[in-house]
Amino acid sequence: MKINTTINGKAVSLEVNPNIMLAEALRKAGYKGVKIGCGEGSCGACAVMIDGRPRNSCILPAAMAEGSEILTVEGMGNPENPHVLQQAFVDSGSTQCGYCNPGALIAAKALLDHNPNPTADDVKDALDGNLCRCTGYIKRIDAVLEAAKAGKKADQKPAKRAGGKK
Amino acid sequence: MLKKLTRFYYPKTIEEACLHLGNKEHKTALIAGGTSEVLRSDNSIEALVDLSKVKELCYIRQDSTYIHIGAGTPVQDIYKSKDLKGPSGELLKTAAGKIGSTLLRNSITAAGNLAGLFPWSDLPPVYMALDAEVVCRKGKPKRTVPVQRLIDNRADKFLAEAEIISEIMVPVYGKGTGVHFAKFAKTSNDYAMISLAIRLTQKGGVIESARVAVNAITAVPARCHEVENALLGKKGSAELFAEAAKKATAGLTIRRDYRASSDYRKEVLGVMVRRGLQEAFDKAKK
Repeated sequence: MKINTTINGKAVSLEVNPNIMLAEALRKAGYKGVKIGCGEGSCGACAVMIDGRPRNSCILPAAMAEGSEILTVEGMGNPENPHVLQQAFVDSGSTQCGYCNPGALIAAKALLDHNPNPTADDVKDALDGNLCRCTGYIKRIDAVLEAAKAGKKADQKPAKRAGGKK
Repeated sequence: MLKKLTRFYYPKTIEEACLHLGNKEHKTALIAGGTSEVLRSDNSIEALVDLSKVKELCYIRQDSTYIHIGAGTPVQDIYKSKDLKGPSGELLKTAAGKIGSTLLRNSITAAGNLAGLFPWSDLPPVYMALDAEVVCRKGKPKRTVPVQRLIDNRADKFLAEAEIISEIMVPVYGKGTGVHFAKFAKTSNDYAMISLAIRLTQKGGVIESARVAVNAITAVPARCHEVENALLGKKGSAELFAEAAKKATAGLTIRRDYRASSDYRKEVLGVMVRRGLQEAFDKAKK
C-alpha cells in the first residue's frame, strides 16, 4: 500500500507493506538516521517526531503515518549546518558510539519546542525513553541545557560550528 | 503479525470510524496508539481502522462533576495537563506519568490502555479507584457504562459490533478525599510488577468510602474488596491501615514471571497498600 507523508519538510510517498513498522520503512527510504535498537519500544533509538510528538517508530505501523509530518534527525541539521542541539551534543561529548543520539536529539528537540527554558528535571523527564549504554546521561542533560541557553528558540537557527569532528 | 492485513482506513469522525468498523466486506479491527500492534497476532483481520486521525476523540475537559477524557487522548497529555485538578486529576496525572516513557506516552491512549487491558496497563486500576464511567458510541447512539463492567467483560467482548469507546468520564471528588498511586517495577520504564491505585473519602477521620485497585500483580485489574471492607466506617489510623493491608491479596490470583515470584509480590503489595492508605488518608484530611 502507498502512504503519503511529509518527511523533513518534503512530501514523500512511501510504498509499504501493511505490517511493516515505520522505523523500517524510513530506513528503507534512506533515512538511516532512524536507528533500530530494541525493536520493542524500550530504547528510543528509533524516535522520530510525528506531527510534533516524539514517538517510537519501531513499533508504530508505517501505515499510521499517512498524512503525517515526520521529522528525523536528518531534518534537524547536518555536519555543515548542525542544529544547536547537535552542536551541543558534540561540544559536551555526549557521543561515543552515537547509536542512541538520533533518538535522543529528536526527544530533546521536542522538549525545547514546547519548553525553551527547561530545568534539569524537565530534561530528564523528556529523555526518559532514550537509553544510552556508553556515554551515560549527565553529558546529554548538560548538552540540552546548554542548547537551550545557546538557542533559546532551538528551532531553525543552526549554531556556528565550534571545533569538534565531523 | 496480521497475516491477512491489506489495508488501513483513516476515518476523521467517530461515525465514519464506526461505519468502517461495521463494514461487512472485510474483517476489521481498531488501532489507536499502535503500541501493542507488535503483540497482536491474528490471521483473520484484513483491515485496520486507524483512530489516530479522529480529532473529536482527543480532549481533556473538566466541569464541576466530571473530568471528560477523549478516548484517543495520548496519556502524555493527561500527564502534562494543567487543567486536571483535585484528587481525581492528581491520581490520573500521577499514574499517566508513570506509564512507559515520553516516547510511549505520546502514543498510548486513554482508552487504548483500557481496551487493550494488559496486565501492565497502569490506568485501569485508576479508573476503577475513581469509579469512572465509559462512553461507548455506535455511530450516533451512545451508552455510558461503569468501567468495571467493561473490565469484567473485556472490551472486545463487551463492545457491540461497530461500537467504539469514545470517552472516559471520571467523577470529580471534593474535600475529604485523598488518593495514592504507586507502580512497582524493575526500572521506571519497565512493565509494572504491581500497580496500585487508592481513593479514600473521610469525614471527621472516619472512612466513608474506600477504593483499592491493583493491576500487574493480577492478570486483569482487580479491586481489593477485603481491604476496602476493613476500612469502611472506621476511624483511620496506622494500626487500622496495617491490619487492613494484611488482606491485600485476599481473593486475588497473584501472577509470577521471571521478574518476581508471587510470594515476593504478595509481600511487597502488603507494604505498598499500608503506606498508600496512610498517604491517601493524610491527604484526605487536609
